[in-house]
Amino acid sequence: MDEFKVLQVKKSVFADNDRRAEALRQTLKKHRVFLLNLMSSPGAGKTTLLSRTIETLGNQLKIGVMEADIDSDVDARTIESFGAKVIQLHTGGMCHLDADMTRQGLEALGTDDLELAILENVGNLVCPAEFDTGAVKNAMILSVPEGDDKPLKYPLMFSVCDLVLINLFDVLPYFDFDMKKCVTNIRLRNPKAKIIPVCARTGEGIDLWCDWLCSEISAWRGQ
Amino acid sequence: MHELGILNALVHIIEGIVRDENLTEVEKIVIEVGELSGVVPRYIEECYPAAVYKTFMEKTALELIVVPGIVKCRGCGLVFNAAANDLHCPGCSGQDLEILGGNDMIVSEIVCR
Repeated sequence: MDEFKVLQVKKSVFADNDRRAEALRQTLKKHRVFLLNLMSSPGAGKTTLLSRTIETLGNQLKIGVMEADIDSDVDARTIESFGAKVIQLHTGGMCHLDADMTRQGLEALGTDDLELAILENVGNLVCPAEFDTGAVKNAMILSVPEGDDKPLKYPLMFSVCDLVLINLFDVLPYFDFDMKKCVTNIRLRNPKAKIIPVCARTGEGIDLWCDWLCSEISAWRGQ
Repeated sequence: MHELGILNALVHIIEGIVRDENLTEVEKIVIEVGELSGVVPRYIEECYPAAVYKTFMEKTALELIVVPGIVKCRGCGLVFNAAANDLHCPGCSGQDLEILGGNDMIVSEIVCR
């Protein structure tokens, strides 16, 4: 029998996923489907924000949503009631989606008639940040009750996002949330991230978020 | 749970290497875990048996090497160990840091035949 040998590999554990994510981005580009990966803690307002987004942009853009959760289909039902094409993905205990799961989700959703696909990732500030899903842009929601120190506690999440939405800014008076400090903390982790305060519940700031989304889509199409 | 997902990705990576290199047996893998990777070495060790259960790696040993998280302060330029200093510059207390190393998880070596 052969002797054991030592293979020097020096390969990132995330390398395969990164390769799949890049391939998915290329495929989506060819089909002109803009994929946005939306992340946040559980309960920060992803589904409410998406409902508002569909209300605002549903007439201009053909939107599809993938709802990723460990279990249940309550979010998918909510989104469906707003008239968007939707699919519920169950991760079966996994705390994030990787590029291959995203590809399978998009296939099941059907992207032929879509211009914008949004992945509502599993509510979690740790794991989704580590796996590139193949999205063109990453956005996250930080809600006021979570505190202004979240960017310090979950640095990776804030460093991979192109946009940070600060949700529920209407409840600012009731919480020890320092908006200035929060922006400074986000900037420490990500000097380039765009920051937009919104209130998904009342609709304040939704126009700014939709403007950002539309300008990112047209810039990407023009590339 | 987060570590289990990462370990599944690891098993796929090793699978690819076994295929590409025509290996018959993987006795041990050596993994480098950066202190700033967000991966907890102890959880990796605990999840490992579950991740390799009923795979070709069931008998493969795991060796973990923790790689220090080294950062450079953008304020004063000091280079230091981030974890040992709680992500604060020991020179100027700054928190605007550039990561120089220790933010990845890498398959370093595999002992195989």
